[in-house]
Amino acid sequence: MRYSCLFFLLLLFSNVIVAQSSMDSIQRLDEIVLSDIKLKHYANGYKLKVLNDSILKKNNVSLTDVLRFNTNIYFKENGYGMVSSPSFRGTNASQTAVIWNGININSQLNGQVDFNTVSSSNYSNIAIRSGGGSVQYGSGAIGGTVHLSNQLDFSEHFENKVQLGLGSFNTKNVTYNSTFGNGSWSGNFGIAFLDSDNDYKFLGTDRRNENGAFNNLDVNLNLGYIVSDRDVLKLYHQNFRSNREFSSTLLAPSNSKYESEDYRSMLEWTRIGSNFTSSLKAVHLLEQFKFFENKDLDNFSKGKANTWLIKYHYKHHFSNNLILSAISDYSYITSVGNSFSNPRRNAFSATVILDHRPFEKLQYTLSLRKDIISDFESPIVFSGDLSYNVSKSYTLKFNASKNFRVPTFNDLYWTPGGNLELEPEDSFQFDLGHELKFKTVAFRLNTFYIETSDLIQWRPNNNTGYWSPVNIANAKHYGLEFELDVTKKINEDHSLFLSTLYSYTETEDVEKQQRLFYVPLHKANMSLSYSYKVFSAFYQHLYNGEVDIIGNTLKGFDIGNLGVSYKLNSNAKTNYTVDFRINNVYNTYYENVALRPMPNRNFNIRLTLKF
Amino acid sequence: MNTKKIALLLLTVGLFFNSCSDDDSSPNVPLGDYEDGLLISHEGNFGQGNASVSYVSYDLTTVENNIYNSVNSTPLGDTAQSIAFNGDLAYIVLNVSNSIEIVNRYTFESIATIDSGLNNPRYIAFANGKGYVTNWGDGTVATDDYLAIIDLTSNTLNAQSISVGEGPEEIIANGDTIYVAHKGGFGQNNIISVVDTNSDNVSTTITVGDVPNSMLLDNTGNLWVLCGGKPSWTGDETAGQLSKINTVNNSVTAIDFGITEHPSFLALDNGVLYYYMAGEVYKMNSTSTTLPTTSEITGLNFYDMSVNNSVLYGVDAGDFTSNGSLFAYDLTTNAIINSVTINIIPGEVYFN
Repeated sequence: MRYSCLFFLLLLFSNVIVAQSSMDSIQRLDEIVLSDIKLKHYANGYKLKVLNDSILKKNNVSLTDVLRFNTNIYFKENGYGMVSSPSFRGTNASQTAVIWNGININSQLNGQVDFNTVSSSNYSNIAIRSGGGSVQYGSGAIGGTVHLSNQLDFSEHFENKVQLGLGSFNTKNVTYNSTFGNGSWSGNFGIAFLDSDNDYKFLGTDRRNENGAFNNLDVNLNLGYIVSDRDVLKLYHQNFRSNREFSSTLLAPSNSKYESEDYRSMLEWTRIGSNFTSSLKAVHLLEQFKFFENKDLDNFSKGKANTWLIKYHYKHHFSNNLILSAISDYSYITSVGNSFSNPRRNAFSATVILDHRPFEKLQYTLSLRKDIISDFESPIVFSGDLSYNVSKSYTLKFNASKNFRVPTFNDLYWTPGGNLELEPEDSFQFDLGHELKFKTVAFRLNTFYIETSDLIQWRPNNNTGYWSPVNIANAKHYGLEFELDVTKKINEDHSLFLSTLYSYTETEDVEKQQRLFYVPLHKANMSLSYSYKVFSAFYQHLYNGEVDIIGNTLKGFDIGNLGVSYKLNSNAKTNYTVDFRINNVYNTYYENVALRPMPNRNFNIRLTLKF
Repeated sequence: MNTKKIALLLLTVGLFFNSCSDDDSSPNVPLGDYEDGLLISHEGNFGQGNASVSYVSYDLTTVENNIYNSVNSTPLGDTAQSIAFNGDLAYIVLNVSNSIEIVNRYTFESIATIDSGLNNPRYIAFANGKGYVTNWGDGTVATDDYLAIIDLTSNTLNAQSISVGEGPEEIIANGDTIYVAHKGGFGQNNIISVVDTNSDNVSTTITVGDVPNSMLLDNTGNLWVLCGGKPSWTGDETAGQLSKINTVNNSVTAIDFGITEHPSFLALDNGVLYYYMAGEVYKMNSTSTTLPTTSEITGLNFYDMSVNNSVLYGVDAGDFTSNGSLFAYDLTTNAIINSVTINIIPGEVYFN
C-alpha cells in the first residue's frame, strides 16, 4: 500500500508540473566538481557532517582516529592499527556503508570496511551521513554512511603539499599531494605511506604490544576533462595496500599477519543539458587478502573479489524546485578463495528519486529502489526526508527509510557452513533532527529509532556439527545525538573553535533481551582549537562509556590529545608548517576491545611544506 | 574468517577424557573447596580470553563459576581446551594462550605456568614421570605437529619433543605406553600413534576410522576409539566407526556406523559404552558386536558429555555468546535429574 502511494505521488508530480527552466549554475558546477552529487542534493532531511581538509590535517592519518575524535561513530579496534569496525548508532560494521566517490565499497566477502585500511590523507573531504541510505547507496547503509570524496577543481592552479611525520614507536608518515587545473583539465594526485613498529608499552606491566607492526600505502589519482560545454569526463583511481601483523592480546600470543590490497577505478561521463543531466559510470573494484597464521612461513589463506559495475543516472529538472532522478545499475561480482569454489553474483537495481521544494522553506525527497540479485529475493526499499526552515536560524529535519543488507559471499558460500537459504537483513528507521544556527553557535539535536530484523548471525548447528549463518536476530536501537559548535573570531588575529558531540545509544537484542555487545551507552568527544596569527593549538577529548561484552563489561575511558602548530613564511606561496602532537596526554591505560591495551602517551612531529 | 574456521573446529571437538581415579584422598580431611564434585572446563570465546573453570556439586545444587579467577585473582587464559589430573595437580591446557596452567586440583591455587614451547596445545596425559601434550603446531601446517614433554618433578618442558602425524588430539596413557588419537586438526586424519615413553619414540601407528574424536581404556586392556567419520561438507563423507584396539597386540576390531552417521563423546560406565549422535545419546554393552538401533535420550544439544555412576552429565554451549547449561540424567531411568546455568561455552566435565 505504501509503495503504491509513493508511486502515485511520483506520477502526480511528473504529470502536473511541466514548468521547465534551465538548471541553475550552482548545480551545474556541482555536477562538474563533485563525485557524489547525491550526498549534496538528496540529503536535506539527514544529518550531514563534513570533515574538511582543515579538520583532517589536525588528526592522525588513521581514519579510525579521525572519526573517533570528530564524530558520533564508535570504533571497536582490535588494538591500535588492527582491524577496526565502526558502530553507527549501535549498528554493526556491516551495517555501515563506506562510499568512495559515490560508490559503495563495502567488502563483498564480509560486508564490512576495515577503517584501518582507509587513509584519510588523500580525500578532499570526508562526510558522515547519519541514518539509513540503502535507496541511494545500496546494501549495508543502515546505521549511516561514510563518504570519501575527491573534488576536481578546474580553476587555474597548481599546488603541491609534502608532509613528513615522525612519531613514537618508530612511526613514519610521508604524504605528497598535488592538484592542478587549467580550465579544461583538472587533476589531483596523492600518495601516503605510513609505517609503524607499534610496539607501545602496556601501562602497568612490563610488556609491550607484540606482533603489532604495520605499514600501508595509499595512492590516489583523479582526472577530469571538460570535453565540451555539455560533457565532462572524470577518472578516479585509488589503490590501498596494507601489511599488518595481527597483535597479541594480554592472554593470547600471536605471530600472524594479514596483507590486503584494494584497487578502485571509475570512469564517469557526465552530460549536462539545459534541463537534465545524465551520468554514466563504469567501475571496477578489486579486493584481495592473504592471511598468514604464522608470519614466518609462506603459508596463507586468501580471498579475492572483483566487482564490475555500470551505473546510469538520469536527472530531469522540471524546474529549479523539482527534480526527478532515475538510476539503474548492474554489477557482476566474482570471487575466489580458499573457502569458496568460485561464486558469482549478478545484481541489478533501479531507483527513482524525487526532489521537490514546493516553497522556499520546505524541501523534501522521496525515493524508491528495487534490487534484483541472483541467489535471493531483495526487498523494495524506500526513503523519505524533509527539511523545513522554521525560522532563519532553526531548521527541522526528518527522515524515514527502509534499508537492507544482503548476505555476503562468506555468508552464502563459506565451506563449510555457507547458507544459500539466507535472506537480506531488513531495517526500518526514522530520525528527527533540529538544527539551530547563529552567528557563533551551531546546535544540532537528533533523535533516532532503528529496528533491524532477520539479522544474519553465525550460529553452531547441532545437526551438522559446524557453524552456519542464519537470519535469526532482531534488534532495536534508539537514542539521541547532540552537537554544539562554537566559532569565535575575537579580532583579526585570534580565533577559537569548539566542537562538542555527545551520543546516547540504547540497543536491545530482542531475542535475548539484552544490550548489543560493544555499543557504548554514552560517548562524547570535544575538540577545542585556538589560533593566533601563525600559531595554533588544539585539544581533543574522547569519553567512551562502558560497553557490554560477552559475559562481562568493559570499562569506559577518557583520553585526550594535545597539539600545537606553527606556520613559517605564511604569506608566501611556499610555506612550512610544523606540528607537534601528544596523543593520550594523560597516559591513560585503556582497552578499546577487551584484553587489547591501547597506546600509552606518545608523540608525533610533522612538517608540512606547501608550494 | 580463520576465526570461524577455528570456532567450528572447536565446536566439533568434544571429547570425553577418562580422568584419573579420585580415590586417593583421605576421607576425613577436606583437601579443598573443590574436592568431591564436578569440574567443568569452559573454552570461552576464541581470542577473547574468557576461559574459565566451574565447580558444580554432583547433585547440581551448588555452582561456582570462575574458580581459578576467584582463587588466584587473575584471568585463566584463552580457550581452555582440556584438564587432566596427576596426583593432587590439575593441568589446564589453554589452546589459544599456548600455555598450561598447573593448579592444586582441590584448592585451585596456582602452582606453575608453562607458557613456552607449546603451539596449539590440546590435551595432556601422564606416564613414566612425564606429561605428554598434544600440539597441532600451526593449524595450516600438516607436518609440524608434536608432543611436548613435561618433566613432572619440575613442571618444566623438556627440550626434546616427539614429532607426530597431523592433528594429534586426545591422548591417553596405559602403563608406560601413550596412545594419541589424530583427529586431524583443520583436516581429517585416521591414525592412533603409539608412543613408548621409555624411549620417547613413536613405536607404531594404528589405522582406525576417520576422525578419531574420543578414546578410553577399559579394565581389560582394550582401547576404545570412537571415530566421527568425515563430515559431508568435505565432499568425501565417510561413516563413523567404533574401534576396539587390543593393547597387547594392537589388533583392531571395528564396527561401522551408517555413512551419514557421525558419533562422538564416547563414555564408559560399569561395562556400558555411551555415545552421542545427532542430539541423541546411545548406549551399548561393551561386549556387544552390533550398534544399538534406538537411542536412550533425545532432543539434546550437547557440546560434550561424561558419565559417572550411572549419571550422565552433558553440557550445552547454547549460542556461544550466552551462558551455557549443565544437565544431569539418571541413566537407569533416562530421566533428567537437574540442570543448571554455568559459564560461557562449557567444554568438558571432570569428576574431582
